[in-house]
Amino acid sequence: MSVDAPTATQHAPGGASAAHQAAAKRRRRRNLLVGWSFILPNFLGFAALTLVPVIGALAISFTHWDSYSTPKWAGLDNFQRLWDDSNFWAALRNTLYYAAGHIPLTLVVALGLAVLLNQKLRGVHVLRTAFFFPYITSLVAVAVVWNMLLSPESGPVNQFLTFLGVDHPPGWTSSQDWAMPALIVTSVWRDMGYYMVLFLAGLQTVPAELYEAARMDGAGAWQRFWHVTLPGLRPTTFFVTVMITVSSFKVFDLVQVMTEGGPGRSTLVLSQLIFREGITQGRFGYASAVSLVLFLICLVITVIQFRMQRRSER
Amino acid sequence: MKLTKNLARIAPLVVAATLTATACDASGTDSTSSSDGRTVVKIALWNYKTTPEFKALIEGFEAENPGIDVQPVDILADNYPDKVTTMLAGGDTTDVLTMKNVTDYARYATRDQLLPLTEEAAGLDKASYSGLDDYDLDGKYYALPYRSDFWVLFYNKDMVGKEDLSGLTWDRYAELAKKFTKGSGSDKVYGTYLHTWRSVVQAISSAQTGGDQLGGDYSFFKDQYEMALGLQKAKATLPFSTASSNQITYDSQLTTGKAAMVPMGSWWAAALLAEKAQGKNDINWGMAPMPQVEKDGRTVTFGSPTAFAVNKKSRNADAAKKFVTWASGPQGAAAVAKIGVTPAYTSDKILDTFFSVDGMPADALSRRTMQPTTVQLEMPVSDKTSDIDQILKEEHEMVMSGEKSVDEGVKEMDKRVKDEVQ
Repeated sequence: MSVDAPTATQHAPGGASAAHQAAAKRRRRRNLLVGWSFILPNFLGFAALTLVPVIGALAISFTHWDSYSTPKWAGLDNFQRLWDDSNFWAALRNTLYYAAGHIPLTLVVALGLAVLLNQKLRGVHVLRTAFFFPYITSLVAVAVVWNMLLSPESGPVNQFLTFLGVDHPPGWTSSQDWAMPALIVTSVWRDMGYYMVLFLAGLQTVPAELYEAARMDGAGAWQRFWHVTLPGLRPTTFFVTVMITVSSFKVFDLVQVMTEGGPGRSTLVLSQLIFREGITQGRFGYASAVSLVLFLICLVITVIQFRMQRRSER
Repeated sequence: MKLTKNLARIAPLVVAATLTATACDASGTDSTSSSDGRTVVKIALWNYKTTPEFKALIEGFEAENPGIDVQPVDILADNYPDKVTTMLAGGDTTDVLTMKNVTDYARYATRDQLLPLTEEAAGLDKASYSGLDDYDLDGKYYALPYRSDFWVLFYNKDMVGKEDLSGLTWDRYAELAKKFTKGSGSDKVYGTYLHTWRSVVQAISSAQTGGDQLGGDYSFFKDQYEMALGLQKAKATLPFSTASSNQITYDSQLTTGKAAMVPMGSWWAAALLAEKAQGKNDINWGMAPMPQVEKDGRTVTFGSPTAFAVNKKSRNADAAKKFVTWASGPQGAAAVAKIGVTPAYTSDKILDTFFSVDGMPADALSRRTMQPTTVQLEMPVSDKTSDIDQILKEEHEMVMSGEKSVDEGVKEMDKRVKDEVQ
């Protein structure tokens, strides 16, 4: 059935606009329905797997619950405990440390790679694939390889440092000072390819005429990058920054496989504390309280980023 | 309106497919009997292929109980405790659960996730069982041990030569470790290997000095730490940092001839025998009693039993109980002793079976090793055990990797256990 087919009422004087309005209204309603039908499956998934658990975690955080017996109302006990728990502060400190290293380094390295591999170089496709490869490699394999590279005695990294004349190269994952830098370097290496691809896509959207104009005005390579590339990449940079930030605060897998939070608790992160308290110790109330804090941190940082983005657009 | 028509056509198909899938799934999980009508008992265990005792027990039990089909639910050993905890939290119905350690057992039992086995335990001859008392929770039992391991000193006979390893003190052990250390670079052979687990230092120390690992005062660890760090400083053992970074396995250290002596649990004997039978190693090994703090003729070591429990949500509880009782009894003991595993139930006959296993070192020292004077539980059971275990593990890593001195580490253990747990 076609909505644009002429009807008898359209020929009647004075009735034309009313009929048009009714048809438009029908069209709008149908469009709305179709739109919802597209969103609905995704929204149902989001509701079932994210929204409901988040609300559930909020409720559980006010209880003492071992996942098996009936939850007992705890009031603010779990949040009180957060305040007194040195593990929580250690995990929060370590998570912030990881994020402070991982976010800027990944951004800079991924952007640098994207700009480099956006040139017309020979073998550029092979290079792009090579840099993307770590991202699709099994995380356990990545962790094992990096543990071998960073092995205190036999690892090539320390052998190279010894060759350069460093007397006591770090123990890396077994040193409380160096374990976190080792994790940051490994994660930057793994993630850079993925964000590089996003930046590469962003670079395609920067109009070539702008570069030509800048060149005509006598702008050098650095000036072109600063005044043309970076502003042109602003939406991509914003998106990438939000993604890296959220993934940094949620980091779990790499830490779990490479250091298990050690040595001591020097690499214990919030997600690991949640896993340990909830799954291992069966304190789901407390784990939910920690997860709520993590959620709030991610929310606040993302809101700040959105605000800053909006302000810079004005 | 094409979309609506298409949806109308597709919807019944989708519903039908979903119902079919659900029905298939339901028939899969609800199944409590096999296609040949036997009752199915599912058992959660780890590394089925490389832990031969499970196969021995399952096959032995099935041979005597043809109406029951025992099906393993294989889980990676490292993930086992977390996986079982998650399974139970999710209402899993796996009938039998292997209790890898007593701490996890206490947690599952106090959470009311296991069926009581008090009646079955009452029927056992307690004098012949090792480790049964460890499952006593206020007079009730929720698991029965089928094996009971304790720590001994494994050694490479060719590397040790004619040195006498009977009645070793820790001082003498350290001297020998330095003596057996040879070579350099990739040819380096260490006199001993101390695995990265905290028990290697802390549980030994606790068992032999009477120190309480839950007490909050850990000064009794100091001597053992000094000894272990001394060996590391003398380069007579692979450094802790290297072992933990490279995730070194203790098995590789002995079987590739990298270390002459390795303190380890008696469970390793069965694995070494199995590897030898498969041609994976050709090491000439033996067992000696654990070195002691003092030479007073007593052998004090630590250990832990391994048990089977029945899931409270089991659908075949009777058959599951039957399996657990059989495995922990004389027949189960004979089945595991036959492959070199130390059963919880022992008798002279069972010991003879154990030492007659092909490849098992049956020399006088090895035989004496299997009869220690006292076996302390690796870690006392309490609701605080797992929190304290975590703190002690973290501080152990700091001390062994040289990040903290022994005094600093012990002080931190005292402080953290008092502040965070007690």
